[in-house]
Amino acid sequence: MTEDERRQYEEQDKVDGLRRRDFLQILGGSFAALAASGCGLSAPREKIVPYADKTDVTPGLARWYASTCGSCAAACGVLVKSRDGRPIKMEGNPDHPLSRGGLCARGQASVLDLYDSSRLKGPLSGESATTWEQLDAAVVKALDEARRRGKSVRVLSQTIPSPSLDAAAAEFCARHGARRVIYDSASAAAILDAHRLTHGHAVLPRYRFDQAKAVVSFCADFLGAWISPVEFTKAWSSRRRPEKGQGMAWLAQFESRMSVTGANADLRAPLRPSQELAAVVELGRLVAKRLGRGEFAPSAGSLPEPVSRALESAAGRLAAARGEALVVSGSPDPSVQAAVNGVNELLGAYGKTLDIRHPSRQRQGLPDAMSGLIAEMERGEVGALVVFGANPAYDHPESARVRAALKKVGAVVVLSQRRDETAQLAHYTATAPHALESWGDAAPVEGTYSLVQPLIAPLFDSRSEIESLLAWSGRKTSAHDFVRELWRAKVHPRAKGARNFDEFWNEILSKGAVEVAPVEGPSGAFNASALARLRPARKPASDGRFEFDAYDSVSMFDGRQANNPWLQELPDPVTKVTWGNVALFSPEDAKSLGLENGRMVRLGSGDDAVDLPACVQPGQAAGTVAAAFGYGRPSAGPIAANLPTRKLLPIDFDPPGGADVYPLSRESAVAVAVLAATSPLARTQQYDSQTVPFTGQERPLILETTLSKFNDYEVKEEPGATLWPKHEYPGHKWGMAVNLTSCTGCAACVVACQAENNVPVVGKAEVRKSREMHWIRIDRYYGGDDAESNPTVGFQPMLCQQCDDAPCETVCPVLATSHSSEGLNMQVYNRCVGTRYCANNCPYKVRRFNWFDYAHDDLLQNLALNPDVTVRQRGIMEKCTFCSQRIYAAKFTADSEGRPLKDGEIAPACAQSCPADAIVFGDTNDPDSRVSRAIRENKSYRVLEEIGTGPAVRYGVKVRNVSEEKA
Amino acid sequence: MPGQRGVSVRRSAAWRIGLAAACLLTLAAARKKNTDDSSSAPAAAPAVTALPPVSAPQSPAAAPSDSDRGWSKPALGVAAVLALAALAAAGAGDLRDAGLAAVVAATAAYWGFGGWRYHKVSGDEQGYAPVQPIAFSHALHAGKLQISCLYCHGGAARSDFSDVPSPGICMNCHVAVHSVAGSNAPSPEIAKLLKVYETHASSAPAQIPWIRVHHLPDYVHFSHRVHVNNNISCQECHGPVQTMTRVRQYSSLSMGWCINCHRLTPETAPKHWKKVGGPLDCAACHY
Repeated sequence: MTEDERRQYEEQDKVDGLRRRDFLQILGGSFAALAASGCGLSAPREKIVPYADKTDVTPGLARWYASTCGSCAAACGVLVKSRDGRPIKMEGNPDHPLSRGGLCARGQASVLDLYDSSRLKGPLSGESATTWEQLDAAVVKALDEARRRGKSVRVLSQTIPSPSLDAAAAEFCARHGARRVIYDSASAAAILDAHRLTHGHAVLPRYRFDQAKAVVSFCADFLGAWISPVEFTKAWSSRRRPEKGQGMAWLAQFESRMSVTGANADLRAPLRPSQELAAVVELGRLVAKRLGRGEFAPSAGSLPEPVSRALESAAGRLAAARGEALVVSGSPDPSVQAAVNGVNELLGAYGKTLDIRHPSRQRQGLPDAMSGLIAEMERGEVGALVVFGANPAYDHPESARVRAALKKVGAVVVLSQRRDETAQLAHYTATAPHALESWGDAAPVEGTYSLVQPLIAPLFDSRSEIESLLAWSGRKTSAHDFVRELWRAKVHPRAKGARNFDEFWNEILSKGAVEVAPVEGPSGAFNASALARLRPARKPASDGRFEFDAYDSVSMFDGRQANNPWLQELPDPVTKVTWGNVALFSPEDAKSLGLENGRMVRLGSGDDAVDLPACVQPGQAAGTVAAAFGYGRPSAGPIAANLPTRKLLPIDFDPPGGADVYPLSRESAVAVAVLAATSPLARTQQYDSQTVPFTGQERPLILETTLSKFNDYEVKEEPGATLWPKHEYPGHKWGMAVNLTSCTGCAACVVACQAENNVPVVGKAEVRKSREMHWIRIDRYYGGDDAESNPTVGFQPMLCQQCDDAPCETVCPVLATSHSSEGLNMQVYNRCVGTRYCANNCPYKVRRFNWFDYAHDDLLQNLALNPDVTVRQRGIMEKCTFCSQRIYAAKFTADSEGRPLKDGEIAPACAQSCPADAIVFGDTNDPDSRVSRAIRENKSYRVLEEIGTGPAVRYGVKVRNVSEEKA
Repeated sequence: MPGQRGVSVRRSAAWRIGLAAACLLTLAAARKKNTDDSSSAPAAAPAVTALPPVSAPQSPAAAPSDSDRGWSKPALGVAAVLALAALAAAGAGDLRDAGLAAVVAATAAYWGFGGWRYHKVSGDEQGYAPVQPIAFSHALHAGKLQISCLYCHGGAARSDFSDVPSPGICMNCHVAVHSVAGSNAPSPEIAKLLKVYETHASSAPAQIPWIRVHHLPDYVHFSHRVHVNNNISCQECHGPVQTMTRVRQYSSLSMGWCINCHRLTPETAPKHWKKVGGPLDCAACHY
């Protein structure tokens, strides 16, 4: 969106505002006229149009289909809820062997991408619409032309772990003599490269966090956005269950910015990127010493004292957990990764916590492949380039070179859902469908296969990538037939148990995923000589520059979902900033630069400079600055450009959507210039400490203990005085247990709730006024001795506590909120008149007020609304209902089947998709229910119990596995 | 003169009050007539509730009742009185009053002849009976032919929403039945159905745009399946559909009407219900 277009929008908005006033006047006049004439209003003529030929759709009955998430290469299993033929909600598939019922925020938000009206409506030739026949003929002609001229044909994509798509691409390459190039915006090329050095073949291991007792991570945000965060969170949280009596895994994080993983670490030390190699080598030397081995590698530099101390402690833990220990790193430096491999080899991790014989296919991009292709394009040697599942003109550090190089390619063919930065430079654009509209498959790790099945006919004139690639290889076949035949030939023979293929296929369609006999890859002997010549790729910053750390954020990742309003408004788990990225500085640096939150800074120099608002981040390593990828996309759509989604909503006059830091990420150090301008952060949490402001009194909302004290920990139930008679709950009493030990703060529940409950998006200007509407938020508090430079972090999901003696209920003048016989604070929208007394009186600040009608003008997007939940209008209050619609749906089912409700039958949206299994919901009247057990076992307490509200949500005390001398 | 003026104002006020009363009377008459045959307490309607829930009772040779025709005799009476009043006023030379009376008389007449069935009068739409695109008669299908309600509206037992049958279901019978009983000529109403059904295999099949009769606001959730599976018969809420040639909204569908049943005890509730005492929590319906 250009500035001009933006201005037009705003002008239009003013005109519409005037029109609205005129309209209201006319409307007022009409009512007077109506009253004068005494006319009645005609009954609303609604129509009911039945399906002409009804197959398997019963109006009002949700159907669930198993499929695979298409948001990233992690390829988690999903269950998709379809109502009346429309997919409306994505949840984790408990039968999927990797994601095991979890699904991240981006995966859950992808259902809204389906209904994005700024997607491409059909194939394009240049900028003009064309037909598929014309497009196919033109593309094939261009490909043949390229070969006739002796130029090369290349196929470029990011990693998509789909065997069928790989086969289709291979067929295309064979037909056109093409070569395939794979890169990754969130690259793990260094890990593959390091394994080539140390083990002889480039491979991405499968990390087995479920097997690890001690983990040391260098900048790898494996609980946030690194490779396969849902799988890792599921696996990791299964080892963080002190109540099971089997101890608790231990995690140390060395990193420059505060990541989700760092926030959950038992030991964390800020570390500059340039110190990473020295730190890993030092760790290797310490571990080798403890295990009585020879020297690990020559020391690679000196380290600050706190880091060395932390490394000592980490080495002790790792050595003690030999065989159950794991070291991971997110570094883009192959030397660091090779050193990590060395430490893992010392610890006997290969084959236990690290599997390279059954590797992961979630990152396949090698470092040299893309730079080779760019050079080739620049030399004008590429006659035709086919790009699918990738947007290199934006999401590659060399995007400027890519854009220039694409202009030298004879024919650029892009398969894309939207007219993104790369598609804008394409000669031909083949519209690709959303994952919910197409057939496909995924094999994210060796031996695990899952299917992608369509939930809805393509909304626009799109064609699956498989079909397009095959069509250009001279083969007309449907993606369904192609996937099915490939599975018949390649997957079915490896499946356990003899079944005929049709049965097998139908079973996988209903289950979603299957584990087949894996093909074992070579293990490769460890080559210790690789460790002798480690050279750090990053130099320390000099002359007042800052080391730059660009990262994949939990909400925006590489920016592919930048036009998704749910993700734009999802607060970053750590910074709590929405709608754009920020430059993170340590408090120390902020002080010396004279920075405060929201002050604009210019990072870098010359052409690559970007302007970003500063954000002071406790725990950020001094001398570093960090910013998230994925923002500042010029061609992602109106949401990413921060244009108003609804006329008459306040708009923000800011530079839209943050800034693109891909070009900057090539540089290891950037200059920082403080600008005069400010841009207030759209932040959902303003206060980070559990100390009462003004009085300085400690008021812990998150209670903590250590692993060794956990068994003796006692929760003191000291409910405050109450004026009211006790409520009777003769039947059920709904309650929730939130385990603060396993909650990682990943924010999957926030989007789950938003999708389930039609929670509106309010936009940047309204978030700045703290008018965000999320029914569940995750509070993040900093604490510890070192709250500025290296704080301990606690996450606390905060939702309506469904108090027994709810302060909101007593102040409502119209009884719009009242107490149910099952312990819910009911909010009756049609009764509410919007006094907001209840929100004022709520000590948990979980009530949300509709300042506007937030429903979209975009009718297509409204198809994602859940028809079981009222869409609230302007002027009324709303809040978490414990997913009442799910409670009643389960009750209706039980009633209809003439049986009592079963424990575990009801899972609110937040609990269902939690990758860490931190939320349990159920009947607390039943002492044997899962929730009652969880409350007891996790030593749960109630927040602000002393004020006598009697919440129904109980939080399991947060257990830290910290060393005794520190505790 | 001032005295005369005072008289005129008083008379005019009396007129207006009279006219307003006539309007209200018309409405009340129309609505009263509607509730006459819809006593809302289910226990008081044993003739209906005693039936098994899915089959319709036989109503042999039921002559179309007033409510099927939509007439309201009291409203027509009011119209007649006002028409006379208008004539009298015109005779007395008071043209303004005569005009007013004539307008209100015409309104009352329109109302009396069934206009009330097409208009939203107050919050609920009790009695609303719109003309449908196909003159489908429940009196024939459910009454005379005794086709079970759930044969066509099967979703009511499985889903929260009761569905409207697809033409495919109609065609289970109408593939053979092309004319009404006692006639060999093809029925024009059935012809409409056949025409729609012919297109069902095409990519954009024709549809029957039925007009919705029962409408609940979006902030209320009602589950058909939980009520049907509790052995509550369709007629307890929808009235004697098996006697209606054109379906009308029988009950008020107001919250008070819902709650009255939810409050029943085992002593007061119909004996064929499996479970008595529905939830009284707001959140049972409002979420």
